[in-house]
Amino acid sequence: MASFQGTKMNPSRFHISQLKFYLILAPLSVFMVMPIIFIFSHSLKPMDELFAFPPRFFVQNPTMDNFRFLLSTFTVSGIPVSRYIFNSVVITVVTVFATIYISAAAGYAFSKKNFKLKNTLFSINTLALMFVPVAVSIPRYFLVVKLGLINDFSVNILPLLAMPVGLFLLKQFIDQIPNELIEAAQIDGANDFTIFRKIIIPMTMPAIATIAILAFQLSWNSIEPATLYVNDEELKNFAYYMSTFTATNNEVAGQGISAAAALIMFIPNLLIFIFMQSRVMNTMAHSGLK
Amino acid sequence: MKIRYRLREALIGLSFIWIWIVGFLVFTCYPLIRTLLFSFSQVKITADGVKTTFIGWENYRNALFLNVEFGDTLATYFVETLVIVPIIVVFALIVSLLLNVKIRGKGIFRTIYFLPVIITSGPVIKQLMDQGATTLPGIQTIIEMSKLHESMPELLADLIVFLLTSFITILWFSGVQMLIFLAGLQKLDSSMYEAASIDGASRWESFWKLTLPALNPMIIVNMVYTVIMQSVFSLNPVITQIQSAMYDAKYGMGYSAAMAWIYFLVMLVLLSVLVLVTRQRETNR
Repeated sequence: MASFQGTKMNPSRFHISQLKFYLILAPLSVFMVMPIIFIFSHSLKPMDELFAFPPRFFVQNPTMDNFRFLLSTFTVSGIPVSRYIFNSVVITVVTVFATIYISAAAGYAFSKKNFKLKNTLFSINTLALMFVPVAVSIPRYFLVVKLGLINDFSVNILPLLAMPVGLFLLKQFIDQIPNELIEAAQIDGANDFTIFRKIIIPMTMPAIATIAILAFQLSWNSIEPATLYVNDEELKNFAYYMSTFTATNNEVAGQGISAAAALIMFIPNLLIFIFMQSRVMNTMAHSGLK
Repeated sequence: MKIRYRLREALIGLSFIWIWIVGFLVFTCYPLIRTLLFSFSQVKITADGVKTTFIGWENYRNALFLNVEFGDTLATYFVETLVIVPIIVVFALIVSLLLNVKIRGKGIFRTIYFLPVIITSGPVIKQLMDQGATTLPGIQTIIEMSKLHESMPELLADLIVFLLTSFITILWFSGVQMLIFLAGLQKLDSSMYEAASIDGASRWESFWKLTLPALNPMIIVNMVYTVIMQSVFSLNPVITQIQSAMYDAKYGMGYSAAMAWIYFLVMLVLLSVLVLVTRQRETNR
């Protein structure tokens, strides 16, 4: 069943023996696509359908009203929307790349290097993963105050960088890389940084792409820094800006706006996924090991 | 010379890890220790800073014995997670086996099955849940609930209902697990299977004797990952309770910190149960 596949992802011809797999895979994949369709259809719903009970999955009379509402509120506030979007883009790009670098470098050291307290530190990391994130928000606030980072742009980025999930996943993937490969590279004269760049990164591409997706989500959607640590409107991100509509507007109009806002917030996630997924799915086969 | 070499090695190792260590100590470790201290004290946030008075185990006692709701939620969480985690892992295993077979359009299927990752880790999932899109519509009416309750003990009946209604959630939360399994599957050597089939092993046998043992480390990783993801999922009822207690003047920070630590310990027990069961199977073989 589980045969090793070469660089070619799909067999070239359809054969009747493949049919049984389609029979299982195809119906389940409907459920997988459902939420995406829902987000699109939900944002197109007119007011009466948004409040319909029982809720309907598909829109019946699609309308662009929700987006029009959203656009009209855009223009009212003092700071241009582009400012928030710019902040968000900068924050997200920096977070994603820094997270990948930090997790991959630490994962490499945790997996292939020997040093004191290695296992202890990694267990602590796994345990830290399990701790309720909301419970640390107040101590974290005190910390940010102490470090003097309140109202500093970097506070949008720094707390997100230590992503325990990233290290956890990457270490598991780096563990899979045989030590012989690294030794061979060392004999050929590669130093640690070359090994890291030329072996570790390419071979763990699926994990890195996954972490890129997760880190993107984390920073693009996070409103925590903007609400807690930043008072200056100009330093807040787009997610925060979008959340103000859903919170401050009245319940009824808010529903439509929040549906439209959800779609707008969601589209970059979808784009990054489409951009990344080929890396997630394909590279394992190219890595040259069995 | 040797010492200098070792020093250099250590420095290089350190250069890979120091950023992580600093970030981890500052933004993860320190707040954690702070909450531990908070959980043993009464915390008052005043205009000129935080005032803490040490009160020993009182927060824990209050959370466990005086707050009926919290204990209930914890118990439900424990049972539900204990059931749902193996199911998610097994489901991810089955799907990744299917996605590893040579069929046309495999790449598309893999993408589709990985797609919910962007839903479940984002804020959209809340909207979906509010709309009831995560449950199978009409499932409650298809099976006659009353009959189910009559013929079975209540806990079991509740569990079955829970499983049926959260079927879609199981599908959506298996993306990363699937990826981990697929990575493991692709490392397996096909010549091993050829040898097995020459020796007369059926596919079924070679799955149990070759694939599964080879995947065992992956299964443990996935167990850990799934428990964690389910438990710190922002819509988890225990978490919402902790959060509301935190901003509630009646309870306060110390109390909610105690709740968080109790929850953490429960999670730890759960995790060790699951991991031990999985390990057990390995040593028996």
